[in-house]
Amino acid sequence: MGDYKFAKDKLAEVLSSLGDYQVFAPTPAGDVVRFLEVKDPAAVTLESANSTVPPKELMFPETETLFKYRLGDTGLDPSVPDASARRLVFGIRPCDAMAYTIVDNLFSWDFTDPYYLNRRENTTLVGFACGDPCANCFCPSMGGAPASEKGLDALMFDLGDTFYVKTLTDKGDAFAKAAGLDAAGDAESKAAEKQAEEALGKVKRSIDTAGIPEKLPSLYDHPFWEQFSDRCLSCGICTFLCPTCHCFDIQDEAEAFNARRARMWDTCMFAEYTVHTSGHNPRPTRKERTRNRISHKYSYFPEKFDVIACVGCGRCINNCPVNIDLLDILEKSKQAEGKEAKTA
Amino acid sequence: MSEEFEPNIVAFLCNWCSYAGADLAGTSRTQYLPNIKIIRVMCSGRVNPLFLLNALQQGADGVLISGCHPGDCHYLEGNFYARRRFMLMHKLLEHVGVDPGRVNMSWVSASEGVKFKDVIEEVVTSVKEAGPMDQFRRRQLNW
Amino acid sequence: MVDLKELQDKAKEVISRDDVRRLIGWQRGTYGFESAPIVVTDASDADKLIFDPTCVQNPASFITLEEKRPVPRGQEPDTRKVAVMVKGCDSRAIVQQLVEKAYPRENMIVMGMPCRGVIDRRKAAALFGDVTPDEVKLDGDKVVVSLNSETKELARGDILADKCMRCRYPNPLVSDELMTEEVEKWGADEFADVDEFEKMSPADKWKFWEEQFSKCIRCYSCRNVCPMCYCVECVVAKLKPQWTRRSTDISENAAYHVQRAWHLSGRCIECMECQRVCPVDIPIMTLNRKMTRDVKEMFDYEPGVDVEAEPLLACYNPQDPEDYIM
Repeated sequence: MGDYKFAKDKLAEVLSSLGDYQVFAPTPAGDVVRFLEVKDPAAVTLESANSTVPPKELMFPETETLFKYRLGDTGLDPSVPDASARRLVFGIRPCDAMAYTIVDNLFSWDFTDPYYLNRRENTTLVGFACGDPCANCFCPSMGGAPASEKGLDALMFDLGDTFYVKTLTDKGDAFAKAAGLDAAGDAESKAAEKQAEEALGKVKRSIDTAGIPEKLPSLYDHPFWEQFSDRCLSCGICTFLCPTCHCFDIQDEAEAFNARRARMWDTCMFAEYTVHTSGHNPRPTRKERTRNRISHKYSYFPEKFDVIACVGCGRCINNCPVNIDLLDILEKSKQAEGKEAKTA
Repeated sequence: MSEEFEPNIVAFLCNWCSYAGADLAGTSRTQYLPNIKIIRVMCSGRVNPLFLLNALQQGADGVLISGCHPGDCHYLEGNFYARRRFMLMHKLLEHVGVDPGRVNMSWVSASEGVKFKDVIEEVVTSVKEAGPMDQFRRRQLNW
Repeated sequence: MVDLKELQDKAKEVISRDDVRRLIGWQRGTYGFESAPIVVTDASDADKLIFDPTCVQNPASFITLEEKRPVPRGQEPDTRKVAVMVKGCDSRAIVQQLVEKAYPRENMIVMGMPCRGVIDRRKAAALFGDVTPDEVKLDGDKVVVSLNSETKELARGDILADKCMRCRYPNPLVSDELMTEEVEKWGADEFADVDEFEKMSPADKWKFWEEQFSKCIRCYSCRNVCPMCYCVECVVAKLKPQWTRRSTDISENAAYHVQRAWHLSGRCIECMECQRVCPVDIPIMTLNRKMTRDVKEMFDYEPGVDVEAEPLLACYNPQDPEDYIM
């Protein structure tokens, strides 16, 4: 674990020296930023805001083949990712890295999911601290920070014309060695500390989550949900762009003689999410689905795993077409009067 | 010598006119190109443009919808609706970059066995020119 | 210019009526230049209503989004009316929904809001950054943004949505009452954007769309926000049989977008909401605008304009064009 640095104008060089890894970095296309494999190191920039689609798609791709099968096969051949491959995510924000640590709980719970976990194992996460948090970020309220180290192998800071890199794990050290980074001194680490403190002060929005997980079940029948669900479009923007949302559907796609079983992102906001084979839908309207999503992330998930399934990245707030504001919902839930929770 | 590309074309033929016309071509021992796979529907108005898309996704290189001549529809108006639909679908697919030669429509009556043969020839030629369809094709088909 | 107090009082009056169940309009958003749709069921909420250039969303979508719950035994269905505030473009959605008999006209109270344009939030963010303005209003030919007791005037073209600069229907085409005076049309629309795209070769067109459709995450926000997409079960959600697979393969993504554009041909009323809401910036309206133009040219038909019209594909003309048909 050490302190390193490199000059900003050497960014492309540093990336080029990581030929041993499959490198992913934030890639802007107009206003949309997405983590894509780096084809041209000179095109990588860390100047844009956080990616639109979170890097969860690097561990948990939107569509993924679980296994393929052909007519006449006698066994299955799972398409599990190689745990010993070498991948590197360059420029992941602390909120997204923290999100991985939250989702890890789910994918190693009742079934250890090799598709997700092998990717987690084979990936080095080189984080990028936020110097200027966006208007709707609230990571400190969720246990994070603009320079949080949770889940990262290394953390970079933009110090003007230098990047300061603090390695946190062996994987991080391996990255620093592969990239041939120079050692950094006290000046850089002190500047980074100062930046982290200032950035924390720049975060504008917050919520005190104390009591929310316990309160939400008592608001099951409360009409306050309707003031949000009335305008919900039931689309998948909040869920697909959320770094901690992790639901998926599994479907077989068959042709005449061969097929694959694939999983793809699903969202509890779609009307057909919980439709039973009988045709009955236990969450027929947006009220039930909105209530369910918030309750899952802020009550049921923490009940199981002791952590709220939210990192305060603000993507849901920024991208909701009808301005359903998560922090507004949580504030209103604190003010609403609950009833005794129903018991089975 | 490379094998010449033999397109796979799905043809939706209306039962009363076009299918009968194709049948006549057959009973008259008219030789027509074997590239088309015929699906009989009761009326061209029954053809949902999503069938076209689905055919292209499943590996068809081109499609043909054929019905009774306007005014002669067995169900009086079906082909009028079909005409509107497929004029629009043709334009839409062209706008997406699908070669217009892939989406074909014709009016073939029950007595036009020879015309049927000619239509097939024209369709196969235009699809051959367009080449193998790769745009909408489901990638898994290549496993 | 809308007098806000007058608007809110009028809304209070409407929602207090015995025969009105809900009123759909806009409220102030929680940050930046946002506005949010609001469904008012009680007169006390009427003072949350606003109308200014930030009111981008189409309230007509929320009429059909409301789910029809089964009525418990012994109860009568609630047949009270729904009031909705609509701009010019939004009103076309109501007209088209009426053409398609989505609901009876008597069930609706349409409060028309002649509109001179709504802002494009991306342009606003580029100009002002991450700030929340105190007020945004239109003053003659300028957009006036008040921020921290300073006002900034902008040319309409610099901050308004592109669709507004070529607006064909600034005044509502259906209304029970107009909340402000009608405005004079300022723009013309020659579908220059469609002409420009058509200049590309087929190969280039596909290259363009392949890149765009590959970005699609199938969130279905475009479909759900659309006032004309109100099927209870959408064909892409069907499983028996399954037409479009759920995987985000280029084949399925392309099929989805072509299907949707197809289902909207002769029905899309160009509110452009689909393109605004797309989180990955797919230029969806490029497809729909092409269909709008072709429908006008081929069939002399414009959706959402005449309540007495028939839906385009439910009628025909024996002289309809058939230029590529053999």
